[in-house]
Amino acid sequence: MKISETDVEYVAKLANLEVADDEKKELADQLSRIVEYVEQLNTLDVSSVAPTTQILENVKHAIRDDRVVPRTGSSEAGKTIKYFKVPKVITER
Amino acid sequence: MNLKNMTADKLVGLYRNHDLSVTEVIRSVFDEIDRNDQSIHAFLTLSRDRALEEARRIDGKIAFGEPLEPLAGVPVAIKDNMAVRDVVTTCGSKILEGYVPPYTATAVERLRGAGAIIVGKTNLDEFAMGSSTENSGFFVTRNPHNLDYVPGGSSGGSAAAVAAGMSVIALGSDTGGSIRTPASFCGVVGVKPTYGRVSRYGLVAYASSLDQIGPFANSVRDCAQVLSIICGFDPYDSTSADVPVEPFQRDIEQPLKAVRIGIPKEYFVPGLDPEVKARFQDSVKQFERLGCTIEDISLPHTEHAVATYYLIATAEASSNLARYDGVRYGVREGESSLVEMYRKTRMKGFGKEVKRRILLGTYALSAGYYDAYYLKALKVRTLILQDFQRAFEQVDLILTPTSPTVAFRIGEKTSDPLSMYLSDIFTITCNLAGLPGISIPAGTNSQGLPIGIQLLGNHFQEGLMLQAAHHFERAFLVQ
Repeated sequence: MKISETDVEYVAKLANLEVADDEKKELADQLSRIVEYVEQLNTLDVSSVAPTTQILENVKHAIRDDRVVPRTGSSEAGKTIKYFKVPKVITER
Repeated sequence: MNLKNMTADKLVGLYRNHDLSVTEVIRSVFDEIDRNDQSIHAFLTLSRDRALEEARRIDGKIAFGEPLEPLAGVPVAIKDNMAVRDVVTTCGSKILEGYVPPYTATAVERLRGAGAIIVGKTNLDEFAMGSSTENSGFFVTRNPHNLDYVPGGSSGGSAAAVAAGMSVIALGSDTGGSIRTPASFCGVVGVKPTYGRVSRYGLVAYASSLDQIGPFANSVRDCAQVLSIICGFDPYDSTSADVPVEPFQRDIEQPLKAVRIGIPKEYFVPGLDPEVKARFQDSVKQFERLGCTIEDISLPHTEHAVATYYLIATAEASSNLARYDGVRYGVREGESSLVEMYRKTRMKGFGKEVKRRILLGTYALSAGYYDAYYLKALKVRTLILQDFQRAFEQVDLILTPTSPTVAFRIGEKTSDPLSMYLSDIFTITCNLAGLPGISIPAGTNSQGLPIGIQLLGNHFQEGLMLQAAHHFERAFLVQ
């Protein structure tokens, strides 16, 4: 699959990235080469194979009891930083 | 005093016998850094005052004859993608320039608890994305064996610091070979533990299902010592494994008993450097002399590992790196609207390779391509895992070269991302399958550049892997 400069623009938008005009061609070329390379996976028949997202089988259940446990770190951050100021989010239409 | 080839083990013994003071060792570490790091560029941040303060405290304990922790007074360097409270943590990225974390990574906390003294934070490829430490947002780290060559990556600063005697041990992280490749290129020992062995709490996420923290040192024994300290369950990491941690540094001394080692035939690729191949074959003979049985094995899906890795790792990265948006950390650009702030901050803050990987990962996850790329890669990951499961029914350990080549020249692969990706071919499968792996020095080439060999173990079989590596190293040094 060849990746065009328009594809680069579209994906950049999805990723909240801005790509300079002079970078678009180079990125399209490089990504095309990489995508062509990874398409070798199409030679494999994986229709009956289950995907692996996590290697470990015997990991403790990641959901813990809903108890407040004092924890350094985040509480420290909470002490020094009260809020994050951002540009206006809601604008008039 | 030069700490090249110094081991933690030996150093703590010298402290105990009052042959050296911790303060003089820490001073000489910083002298060495002042002298050499202007050419090597291993460190991004130094913790000089705090380190000397710690050294004096431990010297006080020694003077009073108090018991010493296993790594008391041992200098350690930390890859700059691990949070250390009150110390700047940049991940080698401009987007985090000046960021000071309010907490410390579990692995670093545990090392400190064992008496280790942090000398500084080391350079890396931005967000650990690279194989050469040329992608750092700040500067390129050079190989201490030859300054025209890369130290490997992405933990190049940590490997170079140990190789140059600017630290005795170091921590790195390994997502596709980022500990083992630089260990091999710099001629030191480096270990990537089983996925889940070492807490990732405080490690800045690149690809969460692949990332693991591990040690660099001048001996297998030191790596075993560090692992016995940093491994173990941590409730702060949701994928932390609750598996008992053995005293690896003690167990490696046991004699090797009837160990079967597999050599995967798929690793003899056309790009395998003849000198690397020759040293590798010498290593095979060495293991035979140690009483191991060598067997040919097959890992048939090896050729698809690089493609699988670069789809999974970039997909996970595109999601993990969404948090760098100018709101909470580091730099901020463009204030006219929220979305503009995100875009401008990320354009200015991220380097080329990071942008490339975010774009590739976003593409692989995007509507219409998810099944064709990301889901397919997850399925091939299953096939790669099954290759190893079958192999470990036949053998106990797997032996390969760590990298198909020795260190390459600075700039040699920067213009062609794909050729850089392909250099990871021997290290990547280990992460996809979540296995432990170690790179051990196995000599040098005709130009004096180090060559490393890699042992892979089954899940949670670090003990046997370290034991075999230790016996190999000892036999190799006697040679």
